[in-house]
Amino acid sequence: MRDRLAEVLDRLVGASALERVLISVAALFAAVLVGGVLVFVSGGFATCRTGLDLAGWTFCYNPMQVYYELFLGALGHPLEGGWQLTNFGLATTLQRTTLLIFAGLSVAVAFRAGLLNIGTQGQLVVGGLATAVTVVYAAAIVPGGFIGTVVLIPLGVFAGAVVGGFYGAIPGVLKAYGDANEVITTIMLNFVATGVTATILSWQFQDPNSNNPQTRPVPEYAEIPNLPLIGFSGRMDFSLLALAFAVALMIGIAWLFARTSFGYELRTSGLQPEAAAYGGVDERRMTVASMTLSGALGGIGGAFWVLMVHGRWLENVPSLGFDGIAVSVLAGNSPVGVGAAAFLFGVLQSGSRSIGTGTDVPPELVGILSGLIILFVAMPEFFRMLGLRFRPAGTSQPARADGGEGGDVDE
Amino acid sequence: MVRDRRRFLQGTAAAGLAGIAGCVGGFGDEGSSDVRVGMVYATGGLGDDSFNDMARQGVVNAREDFDLSFNETEPGSASEFDGAQRDFAESGDYDLITCVGFAQADALSGNAPEYPEQNFMIIDSVVEEDNVRSYVFGEPEGSFQVGHLAGLLTDQEFAAGAGETNPDESVVGFVGGVESPLIESFQAGFEAGVEYANEDAEVVSSYVGGFNDTAGGQSAARAMYQDQNADIVFHAAGRTGIGVFQAAQDEGRFAIGVDDDQSVSNPDFADVILASMVKRVDTAVYSAIESVVNDNFAGGETETLGLEEEGVANVYGDELGDEIPQDVKDQVAESRQAIIDGEIDVPSEL
Repeated sequence: MRDRLAEVLDRLVGASALERVLISVAALFAAVLVGGVLVFVSGGFATCRTGLDLAGWTFCYNPMQVYYELFLGALGHPLEGGWQLTNFGLATTLQRTTLLIFAGLSVAVAFRAGLLNIGTQGQLVVGGLATAVTVVYAAAIVPGGFIGTVVLIPLGVFAGAVVGGFYGAIPGVLKAYGDANEVITTIMLNFVATGVTATILSWQFQDPNSNNPQTRPVPEYAEIPNLPLIGFSGRMDFSLLALAFAVALMIGIAWLFARTSFGYELRTSGLQPEAAAYGGVDERRMTVASMTLSGALGGIGGAFWVLMVHGRWLENVPSLGFDGIAVSVLAGNSPVGVGAAAFLFGVLQSGSRSIGTGTDVPPELVGILSGLIILFVAMPEFFRMLGLRFRPAGTSQPARADGGEGGDVDE
Repeated sequence: MVRDRRRFLQGTAAAGLAGIAGCVGGFGDEGSSDVRVGMVYATGGLGDDSFNDMARQGVVNAREDFDLSFNETEPGSASEFDGAQRDFAESGDYDLITCVGFAQADALSGNAPEYPEQNFMIIDSVVEEDNVRSYVFGEPEGSFQVGHLAGLLTDQEFAAGAGETNPDESVVGFVGGVESPLIESFQAGFEAGVEYANEDAEVVSSYVGGFNDTAGGQSAARAMYQDQNADIVFHAAGRTGIGVFQAAQDEGRFAIGVDDDQSVSNPDFADVILASMVKRVDTAVYSAIESVVNDNFAGGETETLGLEEEGVANVYGDELGDEIPQDVKDQVAESRQAIIDGEIDVPSEL
């Protein structure tokens, strides 16, 4: 039994990139199958007018239809007539993908440095508010039109990154110089962020024309612009430029990890802190620097949430930062993997909304389906990470400088 | 062998695709109703036994009378309203989209001009667009009524069900969801009603900060009963109000419900619920659906449902109502008529 287990772990650890992709796809199908049975059976306990009568039971939910909405609804129903590429469903999917890339990268950077940043949500919240406030006030000075777009958007994103980075640096400093566990401090700083932003909002920046807790809107020209002709229409709250920026940032982080000395030091600190210290890495500075970078990425996520989605900051920021943790884990903390994982999450979130409007299946059940898919897809990776710890890949081979991780290039 | 496998895969894929195509149109569809309604609820969500459930009751009633099907979403926060409304509007399958709650006004004023062919209705707020019908209620008037009742009872020695008043102190309480002009108008009406009944009575108030914070509602109400000697607490806080009832039961005091007759919707607490300030959200939803069915939906109009239209009313508790002294009921009935006749001016702001 033990040998059998060890064999399976070895097999997982030694899996090639292609095999890992195949395993993920197979896991996806298994999740769909299990979820489908679940949907069908729970349909037997619901009441409806049109159902499938089978052996005295009425089954209300059609698993086929649910998955059709989940996956194809997220793309805007491409099999139905009148489909066009720039549709609302796909825009929602890509909008979520864009935002989750930022959040996922934020978590991944900290993870790779050996730090669990649970505080991406808080960094995103304060970063977003900083962006909204900066742009609203700067808009009074900066001329409108094209110049306004070119000046205000980078300024807003920069403000979000700076404030988010600062907010991420706090737990970094506490960890480096006070030995405070970053998991606890970042979790608590999430609550601090929610409370402080709500207070600042009602104290100074509340939109006087609204009952909802939110800032005044940024001028239209300061929202992320859409590409002419091939872009999505303005009301869809998604811009290809933002996605392009997120992808560029993702590649930039991958390059940082793989090709720069800072990235090398960061990864070494995560894998083997003692070795890194022995090799001349200033552990404390690295902790603060990686947390700052992580926070800045979270802040950029907040900036894009403000400038792309709502055009203003709203209280009750959706849980992008927490989803970012799942995205990063699913991606095995690899920056490029974050893109794929964020897209999966984007599909699931957009598809869930499509299920909500297209079928009678309750949202709780849709949550279970999404959870199953994430769980099934993440599990092989999880066991691979576990296996790596206990049964390092190719122990008979000479050790490699990247700690046997295999580097990012082939991931 | 390889060819066999490939053929098998191709066959499976073809069969699978055909299966999907065949099944998707099958059962589980909404059916082919004449009218489809999309419901976007307020953040308290369904199961609040008040505001959202009332709105749902309206569409359920309509379904019994018309060939109708409906679909619903429960956004978790204000940032989701925009997307939820748009999901319904974008599909183009819905004849009416019902937006429940004032917090949806911002999102709706952006979406309504975007989908000019789509009929919307909004409850508790006014959105001036040609395709939106707005419903607002006379909350201050209704709250005045229950305030009058509370003000009269707090001075009397009155015990019924699981509660009793504290005749030595004239203190009543108000628990609100979030501080917003709408909820404050409940408080303003309530305070005016209490003052009308008894000038010396004191009203203590507290805002919990959310419509689904039952524990927060309970601790706020408990503080009023224990520390401030309140004996009757009125809530305008959605599901948070359930906590107010729990506190009333624990302390052996009374509470006043809101939105629907909460002594009926929450029978567990019927022994402490004196009355409810009923707000006929269901009537509003029903009448909007009816107008869509009859093809005479009047967009761009605002309908105000006050005491006179019976859009708001003081409804005595199912269990305790009979025990409330008749002279108190008579006085409350008199003030109702006086408000309708314009003899009493009810403030809508604090």
